[in-house]
Amino acid sequence: MTTHYLVLSALLFAIGGVGVLLRRNAIVVFMCVELMLNACNLAFVTFARQHGNLDGQLIAFFVMVVAAAEVVIGLAIIVMIFRTRRSASVDNANLLKY
Amino acid sequence: MNGGTIEAPTIEYALLAPMLLIFGAAVVGVLVEAFAPRYLRKSIHVPLTLLALAGGFLLTILQAVREGVPTTPAAMGAVAVDGPALFIWGIILVLAFVSTLLINDDEQFVAQAAAVPGSSDEEAAVRHGYAQTEVYPLLLFSVGGMLLFPAANDLLVMFVALEVMSLPLYLLCGLARRRRLLSQEASVKYFLLGSFSSAFFLYGMALVYGYAGSIDLRAISSALGTVAGQDILLYVGVALLGVGLLFKIGAAPFQAWKPDVYQGAPTAITALMASTVLVAAFGAVLRVFWVALGNLDWDWRPVMWGVAILTMVVGAIVAITQTEIKRMLAYSSIAHAGFLLTGVIATGGPEQNQEALSAILFYLVAYGFATVGGFAVVTMVRDAGGEAGHLSRWAGLGKRAPLLAGIFAFFLLAFAGIPLTSGFFGKYAVFSAAVAADALPLVVVGVVASAIAAFFYVRVIVLMFFSEPAADGPSIAMPTVGTSAVVALAAAATVVLGVFPEPVLNLADQAASALFIR
Amino acid sequence: MGETITFWVLAVVSVAAALGLVFSRKAVYSALMLGVVMLSLAVLYAVQDAPFLAAVQIIVYTGAVMMLFLFVLMLVGVDSADSLVETIRGQRFWAIVAGLGFGLLLALAVGNVAFSPAAGMGRAVSGRDGNVPALAEEIFTRHVFAFEVTSALLITAALGAMVLAHRERVRPKATQRDLARTRFAGPQPSPLPGPGTYALHNAIDMPALLPDGTVAVTSINRVLARHEMEEGYAPTDPEKAALIKQVLEKDAARDAAPVEGDKPIQVKDALQDEGELRDEGEPQAGTTSRKENAPQEEDGK
Repeated sequence: MTTHYLVLSALLFAIGGVGVLLRRNAIVVFMCVELMLNACNLAFVTFARQHGNLDGQLIAFFVMVVAAAEVVIGLAIIVMIFRTRRSASVDNANLLKY
Repeated sequence: MNGGTIEAPTIEYALLAPMLLIFGAAVVGVLVEAFAPRYLRKSIHVPLTLLALAGGFLLTILQAVREGVPTTPAAMGAVAVDGPALFIWGIILVLAFVSTLLINDDEQFVAQAAAVPGSSDEEAAVRHGYAQTEVYPLLLFSVGGMLLFPAANDLLVMFVALEVMSLPLYLLCGLARRRRLLSQEASVKYFLLGSFSSAFFLYGMALVYGYAGSIDLRAISSALGTVAGQDILLYVGVALLGVGLLFKIGAAPFQAWKPDVYQGAPTAITALMASTVLVAAFGAVLRVFWVALGNLDWDWRPVMWGVAILTMVVGAIVAITQTEIKRMLAYSSIAHAGFLLTGVIATGGPEQNQEALSAILFYLVAYGFATVGGFAVVTMVRDAGGEAGHLSRWAGLGKRAPLLAGIFAFFLLAFAGIPLTSGFFGKYAVFSAAVAADALPLVVVGVVASAIAAFFYVRVIVLMFFSEPAADGPSIAMPTVGTSAVVALAAAATVVLGVFPEPVLNLADQAASALFIR
Repeated sequence: MGETITFWVLAVVSVAAALGLVFSRKAVYSALMLGVVMLSLAVLYAVQDAPFLAAVQIIVYTGAVMMLFLFVLMLVGVDSADSLVETIRGQRFWAIVAGLGFGLLLALAVGNVAFSPAAGMGRAVSGRDGNVPALAEEIFTRHVFAFEVTSALLITAALGAMVLAHRERVRPKATQRDLARTRFAGPQPSPLPGPGTYALHNAIDMPALLPDGTVAVTSINRVLARHEMEEGYAPTDPEKAALIKQVLEKDAARDAAPVEGDKPIQVKDALQDEGELRDEGEPQAGTTSRKENAPQEEDGK
């Protein structure tokens, strides 16, 4: 079963990665990052059971704490730029160029 | 069943005192923000922040001098306060102190971040002299994370420290007073790319944990080679961990954020990021790749070769095409990350490791001071709309402000690694360590990249001294005490390290002599 | 057997939902899909002997994080859909290729590892009161430092949200008395005339007529008028169209005019905003919309 869970987590991680590259809406991009973090957590929980130690579950717990803090900061930043530009698209954020 | 009793953990408070002091001061700063009246806040924050950073530095020195370097990890094995960690703490605290002088100095930060740029609210906030003084506690939190990041003894602490370091920086990037749109964009970009890369770091961590069954760096090291049939987990895991770490130092395939963020962020924050974050991230890279994966060096070294070469070449060549001074310095910082990576590759026996480590530590000191100084000069050259970013505006600066232009030229020469500047000894040390580790081709690329880089540094110098100043050229802001102190300090450090590097080299040697706690 | 069935059902659901998150055009659908993924993962945690994490996953992720996402989506505009225009040529193609390659690589990498049968959580939890006390012991002994440092993260998050979102009142709040005074001192003490109601039209975008048959300028709804102009639905009546255009141009000219410099702030300033609010009828577009609509081009270059 371990392998099954790991393949599922790898798939979710990759789908999240594709989403980050594909989507233009900053909020959706950030949701895809959250999906990737969730995939990581699934891998941690699976490995915890594989090894029979609690470290994996513990890390997953910490990841949730970190993700919650990250979401607060991230959404605050996105709302800030939305209020300025009335758009959350990453394409409109194009002032910084080579 | 042990009836709900938990044995209390032991935490070596004395060892961790510098970090605890910084975090404590940050919390006090938040309380000041909550309870002190507006007109008092800044005059409380500035001394508080400076005292905390100076106190942290003193505690670090005390620790190194009085008690010697501990040989076991502290706080239940979570933090390794060893020689290199103490040295890196020292660098970070000094550079953060200097950057704080720069932050304190100037109207660099937005009056009210929640007011929409260009709105009447913003104008009113400016007129009322509001200031976003939350900058100081955020800075302290970030510095606390930077101290923990290179001292982390397991991957979990490293991940938490990475986020503690980064989250305040994402915010600080968006708080520039002028060109706010640019600054907010930089903040969004930094945030999205940063969280993307930390997801990679995390997945790598998961796979390494799956391989080794532990996240302790020492346990990972001892698990190498003992687990059969799961090597692929380890390789993919290490690669993903590497992505996360290399992003933070801005190495080549992951460098895209650096110029944008450095350009958009308030210059004082750019100075902080360019110096201290690079130092902290290199500490973490060394710990992961040397302590946990030291026995795997035959496997990661070829990849790291490629990354180092690419980083040096991209940093040096793309810098030539830049027309914005902060972007140019950002690409120069990318190139320097490449030079430093040649030191990371130069592993071998213990003695070789020691030489490479001390070279990297010295390079970090030299580079950090020159960078902070360079950005401090950038804050002083101003147009009507803020800093004069475009390079053409710097033409003829040498005729209007010879002293300032001279100092800036000196920092550029230090970046280029001209003898008699700190950069020369840094590069020399790193490259000679790499030669000793049979990485001659890498050193050749490094020297060529340095020559290319020297070309564009010299181009800026020529522009400053040998072109006619424009009639409506930028004005030189009357430097306040803080900024002039920063410039003077950085220039002095660059001169002293260039002419008389002995003491710092010896100190770096000593710090490196015990290597990392394993 | 039970676990296998649960796994396959939830695996299919979560991968489908993840694909939905990436490929649905509306951001709200994406958010709901992410919620589905998180819930299925919570069940998978529970199946894998991690009851505490399953609970935390539901409480923290679906309960707090997803709600925050939805709040922000509502704030930003639920109907915000992604444009399908590619800004970097070939970017979509290469993103999918890279993603597929990466996913395949990862899946093959972890799929090919020969694992011994899972050790199970029994050993780790044995001698303790179960999963939660065992985790608590780990958190408060071996990983206590990391746990303490996360408090820095939480403080940073709170402080950051305050910095970016909290706006202190710069001007005094206008009282009822002030409002009444400005209203009667102003040109229009009475309420603005409502839209026109005619035999053929009964719509809010029709201006009212004055007794002499001319259009009442004050009854033109600025928000709708601007929208109609931008979208190209000018009124068919040329006289009315010209009038609306004139009104809008006057508005634009007023916006473009430089804001007065060091005038001391008076209650009047504060009221102007609220007056506009009444004009436009759309609260969100009230105080700040015009200035925000014009992005600061000069900022960039």
